[in-house]
Amino acid sequence: MNPIQTTPRPLVMLTVFFLAVGLWQAGEGSWMYAKARLAQLLLQRAWSRTLAGEQLVKPWPWADTYPVAKLTVPSLHIDLIVLNGAYGRTLAFGPGYSESSAFPGSSGTTIMTGHRDTHFRFLSRLKRQDEIVIETDQRTSQRYLVQSSQIVDARTASIPLMEGEDQLVLVTCYPFDSILTGGPLRYLVTAIPVPSALPRSSDTPGG
Amino acid sequence: MLYETAQQCTAKRTSQVLPLALLMVILSWIGTLPVVLACGEPPSNQSEIAERGMRLKDVTQGSLLFNTHEAGRYTPAPLLKTDVKITITGVIARTTVAQEFVNPSRHKNAWAEGLYVFPLPDTAAVDHLRMKVGERIITGEIRERAEAKRAYEQAKQEGKRASLVEQERPNVFTVSVANIAPLDRIIVEIEYQETVRYDQGVYSLRFPMAVGPRYIPGTPVIIEGEAHGSGWAANTDRVPDASRITPPVQHPSLGPMNPVTLTIDLAAGFPLGKIESSYHDILTIADQDGRRHITLRQDQVPANRDFQLTWQPERGPSPNTIAYLQQRESTYGLLMVAPPASDESVSTSPREAIFVIDTSGSMAGTSIEQAKSALVLALGRLTSQDRFNVIQFNSATRLLFSEPRPVGTDTLGKAVRYVERLHADGGTEILPALKMALKGSPPPSHLRQVIFLTDGQVGNEDELFEVIRTQLGTSRLFTIGIGSAPNSHFMRKAAEFGRGTFTHIGSTSEVKAQMGAIFQKLERPVLTNIHVQGFESTAELFPSRIPDLYDGEPVVLAFKTAAMPSGITLTGTFNARTWTQTVDVAGSSPRDGLSIFWARQKIASLMDDKRPEGGEGSLRQSVLDIALAHHLVSPYTSLVAVDTEPIRPSDASLMIHAVKTNLPEGQDYQAIVGLPRTATNGPLHLLIGLVALAVAFWLWRPRDRFA
Repeated sequence: MNPIQTTPRPLVMLTVFFLAVGLWQAGEGSWMYAKARLAQLLLQRAWSRTLAGEQLVKPWPWADTYPVAKLTVPSLHIDLIVLNGAYGRTLAFGPGYSESSAFPGSSGTTIMTGHRDTHFRFLSRLKRQDEIVIETDQRTSQRYLVQSSQIVDARTASIPLMEGEDQLVLVTCYPFDSILTGGPLRYLVTAIPVPSALPRSSDTPGG
Repeated sequence: MLYETAQQCTAKRTSQVLPLALLMVILSWIGTLPVVLACGEPPSNQSEIAERGMRLKDVTQGSLLFNTHEAGRYTPAPLLKTDVKITITGVIARTTVAQEFVNPSRHKNAWAEGLYVFPLPDTAAVDHLRMKVGERIITGEIRERAEAKRAYEQAKQEGKRASLVEQERPNVFTVSVANIAPLDRIIVEIEYQETVRYDQGVYSLRFPMAVGPRYIPGTPVIIEGEAHGSGWAANTDRVPDASRITPPVQHPSLGPMNPVTLTIDLAAGFPLGKIESSYHDILTIADQDGRRHITLRQDQVPANRDFQLTWQPERGPSPNTIAYLQQRESTYGLLMVAPPASDESVSTSPREAIFVIDTSGSMAGTSIEQAKSALVLALGRLTSQDRFNVIQFNSATRLLFSEPRPVGTDTLGKAVRYVERLHADGGTEILPALKMALKGSPPPSHLRQVIFLTDGQVGNEDELFEVIRTQLGTSRLFTIGIGSAPNSHFMRKAAEFGRGTFTHIGSTSEVKAQMGAIFQKLERPVLTNIHVQGFESTAELFPSRIPDLYDGEPVVLAFKTAAMPSGITLTGTFNARTWTQTVDVAGSSPRDGLSIFWARQKIASLMDDKRPEGGEGSLRQSVLDIALAHHLVSPYTSLVAVDTEPIRPSDASLMIHAVKTNLPEGQDYQAIVGLPRTATNGPLHLLIGLVALAVAFWLWRPRDRFA
């Protein structure tokens, strides 16, 4: 009898298969989070150039989008660069401004969307009266206060753009901890502007 | 071997603890397992309805719930069924559209008023309305629009059955039906006439079925006290009637509604060759006398895409002259002359081609794919002497090059890559893109052609036509209507003001043939400076200025004259030579409906010139005179039918319901009205990955030590 028992061949194959799938899927999943983080670093640089007066700055040479605003939530230490366009490809890198809504900083309803598991995860922690600051490429800042948050069904709900009132709507998928994507529910945070637009923070005196 | 393995498994239970613990850690970190399916969970509004007393079993499938004024009670909207009968004789088609409204409510006090915004062909002359109640038929009358509305409102208040047909756009109409009793039906029959299109040897007829969701630019303007339409959009400064052309849209997941049945009686007037329906399956039965009877293969189809029938003669070219006459107080006539097909070689003059592609949300889905493949085909057709540029627009306008560039492998390659990467989302801000496309002057040697690929789903058509009319310069504008239910009015008129021509691409399989046809028009010489001689001086001819003719297009004239002309001469310039053709109309066959055709052409001609010398008032009066005299629906006239006896008890309430429309087939609901998708697959990938790793670890556990 053979003293050394060899591992059955199908088992080796199976193990290798699961190892490969495991590494691939875990890598894929981690890459999404890494991409979301890394992109924001590059975007911060593109944003500085935008503020310096450059138009439609591409954060990386092959990008098909550009930063349009900076979103900060002081109380939660959130600092995000918002990209133009709310498409799957742009949302991987940062929250996206929905082009059919009012441009950030102009009057009307501005809609920004983000992924619930990366950039917009903080929406779940936003409370009423929390402050959100939107900085635009015109170097102006607008403070908003969270007014309400609600869960809607994307199949039936739509955000009214025609009401002629200024507001900021942040949208993400709901529920926050779900594994599966493509569900119909959305989490909406509505914020209204604080009347006086304050000058930008002290690092840029004079504006 | 396998048995051994299994034995080992059960024996060495301790080695399983670690992987299982790992799995538990992963699961608790990612979120508890029960929420895995939570993203697909339906919202709780159904139970909400049930709590308020709605009996769900009362709701028949396919009906919709509407909020009533009375808190806590929902009534279903009227159900709509449409039956279309088209009779084609030569180049004139008469169509009867019967819309059956059924109030499905069993509640004896739930009377309904139905509003339905629906499309008709953009050249339709609507001249009859009949309201059928049981066996009785009430015939509609033509009235000035506000007056018709008053008559309808009054009848509605008095509890009489009534119906009203109003024109919102040449291709968008609203029908209102008042006082439909519970479980009762009212059939509204609308009749119209149109001429069929003849182009490159093929006759075609289009019947649109859905008004797609349109983009409404501008700032909302609400005039207090003024009635608001039933649509989802507010009226704006740029689209003052937006609420009347934006019918509510049925969510695709709730299934299609508004079934349509359609039959066609075709008497072409010549031995028929190929008869084809572009987007629906049909059955064709030939009669003894050569007529064809055409029905849909399916009993009914949902009203979610245009129907198009094309036919051509059995062999050889069709007669190149068609003339019909009708004797009334004057002589009315229709004249169609197709210049003989030219075999002249492709035009050698270089072109500056500006391609404009619509990448708005309404193009998402199949439309953008059709537009992209059409555009790539067109790019491949350019020659090295040409110049070109690509402009895309949605909420913003983007140019490929800052100015048109010569065709070369580098520029063309860049353009093709650019087009292949296009995706559709956002608004439809056509105006800046149009201005950008018309701007710029090519070298004098170049022909400037603007090729516009869009579904035309906007509400501000007139504003755009005005820009084309005033800023066209030496450019020529060609429109290619993309998708299953494009705004054909926009396609036709934009091309008309742009002195170009239009075509439609309704499916991916059509791209090649339709683009081939348009290339022929773009590359062959054009017949210009067309004039008609032979009519007496008081005769009225429409169109008053005959447009340039592209390859395969005929001159189509509507005329009214006091004295019968014996011979008519047409002249024009073709490839720097003079073209002349004489037509003898005296012996033409008599036909009905030519006065309607003439009147409709005259209204179109008046409406094109929105700023006549006498201002809006005089335009209105001119249109009113014609429309009332010829019993035609127009922007200023409506058809109204009112029953004689009141039937609704004074204590029963009347609910207004806007009948929903289907989203045109192939369109993406999310991209137009929905909210974007906002979750990554990251957590799912991680979960799968870690589970797979755990399984691998468990399989590879060190078993030799225990052997």
